[in-house]
Amino acid sequence: MSDHDHSHGHRPPAPMVEEISDFEILEIAVRELAIEKGLFSADDHRRFTEFAESIGPLPAARLVARAWLDPEFKKRALEDGVKASLEVGVNWLDPTGFGTPSDYTDLRVLEDTPTVKHVVVCTLCSCYPRPILGHSPEWYRTPNYRRRVVRWPRQVLSEFGLQLPPEIDVRVEDSNQKCRFMVLPMRPAGTEGWTEDQLAEIVTRDCMIGVALPHPDRKVDDKRPVHPAVNPVHH
Amino acid sequence: MNLRNKQNPPKDAPYPDIFDHKMFRDWMRTPHDVGGEDDVPMQFEEKQEEQWELNTYVTCECLAWRGIWNAEERRRRQNVDIGNAMYLGLPYYGRWLLAAARIMVDKQHVTLTELMNKMEEVKKRHD
Amino acid sequence: MTKRSHHAEIATGKGDPQCFSNTTSAPSKFKVGDKVRIKELPDIFYTRTQVYTRGAVGEVAVVTHESPAPEDESWDNTDHSEWFYIVRFRQKDLWPEYPDCYANDTLQTEFSERWLEAVK
Repeated sequence: MSDHDHSHGHRPPAPMVEEISDFEILEIAVRELAIEKGLFSADDHRRFTEFAESIGPLPAARLVARAWLDPEFKKRALEDGVKASLEVGVNWLDPTGFGTPSDYTDLRVLEDTPTVKHVVVCTLCSCYPRPILGHSPEWYRTPNYRRRVVRWPRQVLSEFGLQLPPEIDVRVEDSNQKCRFMVLPMRPAGTEGWTEDQLAEIVTRDCMIGVALPHPDRKVDDKRPVHPAVNPVHH
Repeated sequence: MNLRNKQNPPKDAPYPDIFDHKMFRDWMRTPHDVGGEDDVPMQFEEKQEEQWELNTYVTCECLAWRGIWNAEERRRRQNVDIGNAMYLGLPYYGRWLLAAARIMVDKQHVTLTELMNKMEEVKKRHD
Repeated sequence: MTKRSHHAEIATGKGDPQCFSNTTSAPSKFKVGDKVRIKELPDIFYTRTQVYTRGAVGEVAVVTHESPAPEDESWDNTDHSEWFYIVRFRQKDLWPEYPDCYANDTLQTEFSERWLEAVK
């Protein structure tokens, strides 16, 4: 008798890679029908896929680093985030000529101060400044984060390892309309004399969501478990 | 108010006179409006993206790019119209995908028959 | 003939919400610093005004842009635009249990004008 008796409530073994899931079937059906019916072209899908695979947090990190070094640039970034994005190589009108349909073209940069720490959430869905910051992390999209960070922000930040004293006010930005937000965190001590490249290296994605602070010794976001895909994106 | 935690009504399709204002408001609450609801700490994780998830995201954006819908229509359908049970019970990109399929049928770009046939055909390809 | 919105035509080269600039029928009703209360409007079927903000009093932090309200845009009714505002609240005014020792913590979120009323 096999000791994998599924009646004991064990998860069945993961499906073999060759088995197609219901979601995959529907995805193919939808995309093929849309192209067949002329709703969009295969070339549209390819071009937007290229765009989706090209975005990441590096331009936003550069915006932060440059703002730390150049007070005039910082003023420009705070005044008009979309215009300032051009200076770090991001055109918010890409790839359609009017922007991405979901991210719009109104970026706001939230400046942390010695007394105000910002953290960003979209309680209603998971709105995120993709063109300059890349794709949102899984946890950002969860109902759990969206429920809790607006009401118990210090609790949630402490779970990310950020304990803030009472002298620092926490300001939550609930991104619920067309504006998109990124945090400009305070420049940490221990970075005196650094170049823009060096500074950009320590501004990680989590710092610009607001759940982490940049640190001279840290170039990657804190490690957390990665749920694997069955059929991951192939490049 | 999280309807999952509400006591179930005494029977399906209850009489309207048991509905006070608070009950009506609780039922009308849009499923996506979760800010401030009770929840407990959980392990925050990253997730490796499935190929179909990336394709779905791109399909939804292409449908908006070419004027079939706009992102706000998508959000309404994907995050509210589906109702609270599916909102919490389905995967994140599962909802995006269903919304894309649904808009095509609702706006009569395809018939449901065509969608069913295509799904059958795709399934057979992979048998 | 596939019915498509003309959004791409009006927004190309400008962006969204820029394509809705100068489309409201009146100037913005509120300005930065104004005290406003979030109204309890019927939110049947769809809204992006969170339940946790209803009835709360906050201060206008930013006047952002003009756009159709999401209640309209989500049905592709884009003929009317409203001004949008980021309103800042004290967390203590949103959540009854928010600790006094963090009395300066705030939350800000965005509303279309229909959701705001002036507070003296």
